[in-house]
Amino acid sequence: MKKLLLCLIIAMLFTVITACGGDEEASSDSDAVSVWVHTSKETPEGKAMQTIIDRFNKKYDGEYSAAIEFIPRSGSGGGYEDKINAALTTNTLPDILTLDGPNTAAYADAGMIAPIDEYLTNKDDLLPSIIEQGTYEGKMYAVGYSESGVGIFYNKKMLKEAGVDLATLSTIDNPWDWNQFMELNQTLVDTFDKPAIDMGFDDQSEWLMYAFSPFLWSQGGSIVSEDGTSASGVFNDENAVKAFTFIQNMVKKGYATITPVEKGFHTGEYPLKFGGSWTITELEEYPDIEYGIMPYPTSPDTGELVSPSGSWQYAMSATTDKKEAAGKLIDFLVSTESLTEITLANSVLPAAYSVIEEVQDKVSPELNFLIEQNSKSAHARPVLPAYPQVSRVFQQTVSDATYYKENSDIQKLLDNKVEQINKALSK
Amino acid sequence: MNTNKRENIAAYSFLTPAFVLLGLFLIIPSILAIYYAFTDYYLLTPDKRQFIGIGNFIEIFKDPIFLQSLKNIIIFVVFVIPIQVGTALGLALLINKQRKGNMLFKVAYFSPVVLSLVVISVLWLYLLNPSEGLINTILVNIGLDPQPFLSSPDQAMLTIVLVSAWQGAGYQMLIFLAGLQNIPSSVYEAGKIDGVNKWQNFFHITLPLLKPTSILIMITTLISAFKLIIQPMVMTQGGPMNSTITPVYYIYQTGFSDRLIGYSSAMTVVFGIVIGIITLIQHKATKEDETQ
Repeated sequence: MKKLLLCLIIAMLFTVITACGGDEEASSDSDAVSVWVHTSKETPEGKAMQTIIDRFNKKYDGEYSAAIEFIPRSGSGGGYEDKINAALTTNTLPDILTLDGPNTAAYADAGMIAPIDEYLTNKDDLLPSIIEQGTYEGKMYAVGYSESGVGIFYNKKMLKEAGVDLATLSTIDNPWDWNQFMELNQTLVDTFDKPAIDMGFDDQSEWLMYAFSPFLWSQGGSIVSEDGTSASGVFNDENAVKAFTFIQNMVKKGYATITPVEKGFHTGEYPLKFGGSWTITELEEYPDIEYGIMPYPTSPDTGELVSPSGSWQYAMSATTDKKEAAGKLIDFLVSTESLTEITLANSVLPAAYSVIEEVQDKVSPELNFLIEQNSKSAHARPVLPAYPQVSRVFQQTVSDATYYKENSDIQKLLDNKVEQINKALSK
Repeated sequence: MNTNKRENIAAYSFLTPAFVLLGLFLIIPSILAIYYAFTDYYLLTPDKRQFIGIGNFIEIFKDPIFLQSLKNIIIFVVFVIPIQVGTALGLALLINKQRKGNMLFKVAYFSPVVLSLVVISVLWLYLLNPSEGLINTILVNIGLDPQPFLSSPDQAMLTIVLVSAWQGAGYQMLIFLAGLQNIPSSVYEAGKIDGVNKWQNFFHITLPLLKPTSILIMITTLISAFKLIIQPMVMTQGGPMNSTITPVYYIYQTGFSDRLIGYSSAMTVVFGIVIGIITLIQHKATKEDETQ
């Protein structure tokens, strides 16, 4: 009896200890370059990555090899990043990892990832927004393997019903400014007597930074000073006031609602919507909706078209002892062939000019529109180590501005937010 | 003597797994949190951690969002305790009497407790949707204005209070029920002989005899109310205009999104002390009550 008891206790302790140990070293025992990615093996993106790695192993058989590990992240980004953070403390980072665009500066600043300029043979081919997103303090630390963008989706039938001539709509070469865009909204609100556009104000997350910062840039404004040390006189200047007044007016005049109906555009509730390549995929299930895409509205002062961009990237860990092999692999991962494969599999926007040429005949006209807009007007989000805080303040500023009764004084709102950004930058 | 020793060894062996787990996941992390609170620990540079004294603590008391979160949680607690405990007591009284179908009601009232808080929050998100939600549809149909429950800075926290009270009341109901069934029927019989009415019965017999149960419920509800995070995280993301950000949610954001482990640990310590003081006050109140 006693022996049984002892066995039981030992078994329990053993379980506890092994449960904490985990199965970390499964794939890093060989000379293979270890790669961690944030997607799941079953997604089209994951499958394409596996194919690319397999091709690498075949091509460099006997010379280099690579092993990929899929660590799916949860909706809000947890899971994968938790694993990265844990690996950092225990010094068990892989040789290559994926990271979201806005993380570049934080990872580079912390010395987690190494500069990769010397390994990239096709840097000139990459879109400027990809280079901007991956560059910190003059060096390229990460390279995006796809792009993203947002356009104004419009319901052709509803616009015709409101008497709008579709031939006169905004185009990439001749984009509408905010005033022209608001006129269209006014016409639609007058016709249908309800909000005209779903701008995603209910999504209080990175979306608000991603989709709304281009208005500020189009106006010529910025979030922080060029050296990234302060927001004073930048985020509360005249340009910022104008951009946020536009955002506020969209809600104040009843064009956009802060509580849109879910899938409102897909079901014909709203004639307009801010959407990206993922919206095109979603709309495949709603064949009744005939839609087109317009470019982002521009500031009336500059007329400069600026659109959202950014996506996940590859980077090399600074602690890797296989720099050469890892560099070779990163270059292989962003070669035209690999990028084309992942772009087509995932229905996303290409990250390089050569890939645009490869895919443009193979994708829908709608996706081609976003590709064209992206190649001409994409603007990366700021590359700052304190990005998470700065982004959250920006998100809250957008959200606060939509409460136009409480925040009718945009200047005051921005002055207040500048203080919060400065505090984050000083930490 | 020998058997005694052996029994001791057996006892300790049984305790070991619990101690190991508690140590690993509660005691060691707590001690580390207190230590980190005095450092500038940034999640991505664990090696460059430096001792910075009480710097973090000074920052905290100048942090408008942390102060806002404290204000929010106090509003939450002040509203949720009476509503949740009152509802629980009401429900317990309702199902205390022997009636047909009591079991069904017991299960119905208790079922939200078993469901995951995330599920509950998402469910209410749909019910409270301003344009298509069931609740606003009902309001409109009976001729009232639709309410911006979660998108109004004035209503969002109160909405979360009601959802939380609805979710949690079933648990306290069960404890109240146990308390009610512990009241000897002889007391009620004595009351009957003296000719008390229903209200006197409740206020002069049931309520005083429920006091120990009530105190237990108050303490547990209070502590769990202070830990509010999931409902605002899922339903409002702390908005609108920071009206539903809570200390635990803010600690989570600063620690894991902003990667400021040192700063968020300091907030944890401050918040822990606040809860500790409140619990102590309650504990003292309980003691006094026992000596009466």
